[in-house]
Amino acid sequence: MADKREGNRRRRAQPSDLMWRPVVVLAFCVGLPHTSHADDGALLSDDTWRYKSAGDLAIDAGLVVGFPAALPTGLSTGVGAGVAKGRTLAWGARAAWVTATESSLAWTVTHSDLQLRVTGAVQKSAGRGTLGLRLGLGGTLVHESRVRNQGMRAGLTGSELETSAFAMLPAADLDAVLAVHIAGPWLLVTSGGPSVDVLDKKLHAGWSAQLGVAWQP
Amino acid sequence: MAAMTRVALVVASLAGCSDLSGFGGAVPALVTVHVQTTGELASVRPPGSPDPKLRVALVWGAQWLPEPLCILPPDDATVTALIAAGCRDPFGFVPDRVAADAPLASDGTASIGLLDLPAADVMVGDVTARVAYGSLVVYDDRDGNATLTLGLPSRLGGRQGPMEGDSGTQTLDVVYGASFVSMTEPDARLAFREGGFNQTAAFYPRSGCGDPLASFSIVSAGGFTAAAAVAAQAQGQLPPEDPATCSEASPETPVAVAFRRPAQVHELACEERLTDSSVRYREPPADPPDLAVRTYACPKIPDFGTGMANGRTELAISGRSDESCVGLSHYVLRGCRNDPLCALPAWDITATPPSWWPCPAQAAQ
Repeated sequence: MADKREGNRRRRAQPSDLMWRPVVVLAFCVGLPHTSHADDGALLSDDTWRYKSAGDLAIDAGLVVGFPAALPTGLSTGVGAGVAKGRTLAWGARAAWVTATESSLAWTVTHSDLQLRVTGAVQKSAGRGTLGLRLGLGGTLVHESRVRNQGMRAGLTGSELETSAFAMLPAADLDAVLAVHIAGPWLLVTSGGPSVDVLDKKLHAGWSAQLGVAWQP
Repeated sequence: MAAMTRVALVVASLAGCSDLSGFGGAVPALVTVHVQTTGELASVRPPGSPDPKLRVALVWGAQWLPEPLCILPPDDATVTALIAAGCRDPFGFVPDRVAADAPLASDGTASIGLLDLPAADVMVGDVTARVAYGSLVVYDDRDGNATLTLGLPSRLGGRQGPMEGDSGTQTLDVVYGASFVSMTEPDARLAFREGGFNQTAAFYPRSGCGDPLASFSIVSAGGFTAAAAVAAQAQGQLPPEDPATCSEASPETPVAVAFRRPAQVHELACEERLTDSSVRYREPPADPPDLAVRTYACPKIPDFGTGMANGRTELAISGRSDESCVGLSHYVLRGCRNDPLCALPAWDITATPPSWWPCPAQAAQ
């Protein structure tokens, strides 16, 4: 029967197509072990966890949680990254982008905080680990998006429905930093501590924490 | 290091370049309704009443069906008097909830900002087509609570004594007018429509008029007569409106509210206990209720022509004449709480009625 529908017809999988799949899977199973055959079959060796920490440059990135810079409630989540140079005394820069959405009866407010800091740290190595205290100074660029609850159902448009604003808030962080060498140049890094920013000429206290990895060549 | 210093200086220079609102700031109204009163308040004020503190309330309407006794043809003059004393206008607007309130300015105008949409329980229809209607009620805020206090009719207790809530709610507020009083009069109402509109729905119908606009609108109609409503109901239709009297306008359109005598519009401040036309019956108490300040009658129990009542009567008693809301209390010698004709009665004292019982103890043969 001729198909008079417009467009492409779906073609059913034919038995010959299905027969190729096991063959492809089998080829991978046979071929891949040859490409990863090392250390006489041992998955772990003495070299696996060997690390090096020759450099004084460290670059890290990870997940960030914290108290929003300008909202009175909520939990901001996002990502952050930083670079630091130095041994006992280190300086560097950090940036993080976090966002939080909270609601009241009238508004749903989303704050996106871009945290920009210059940092100075005092740190001490102990075995595989490094302990430090890091002070960050800078600002937090806050983008606010407010949506009037029920406004769309009520037919509101424009600024009656949604508003947005930017603000740059002077801010400072004091973080305790713990870094542990895992393997090669890679470290597991966690940090956290109080933070403060200036909102409407008042100090607004908060906190932040980060869990991530660092690369120290 | 110099680059970092420059970044820090740029950041510092941007600080405070804009402000954030968060959850603060003024909350814009979802809709603002404008009211303009007409007529002379002095001509309708009861003599000796205190200086009024006039306000306007936006009241969402309830879907309400009157109880059968109030709409069936009366048996005799006593039942007619009872209906007049204890039944509200069966075509009248029945309040469900006060949504917003604003003072009336000295020039007779008011603007009411609505901060919340009507809740699902005041809307009629399903999520694909539902509507809510509101009446703008002008009232004297006698109790000074800055909102229209809705009253609830009282009811008399049974043999087990009064139950919780029997005393009802007396409202001190005095209504002086409303944009939507009854379907038998010209009206203007605030409509909130979501989705489609069901033309066959009998929720304060405006058959023959256009659909309310999407979201908020001010809709009006000329009203229909009670006779037209009965005739249309007999044919399974909705009573038609004169299309020339209909309008559907934006919510910014001012709504005119004429001052009226409180006796004509007092029901705008009265809720109903039951909205589905059902009746709660009670076993008559041993001691007589205070019938001196009430109107009562012994109408036949309505059986809608089935003959199940077999001519049995009930005792229906209105509320006190000084109460703010009208209502009826129902007693039967034999029956159940929800059904006076139930097969297995919860009480049966037809053989030993109370000494004060004013109705026939046995069915008239």
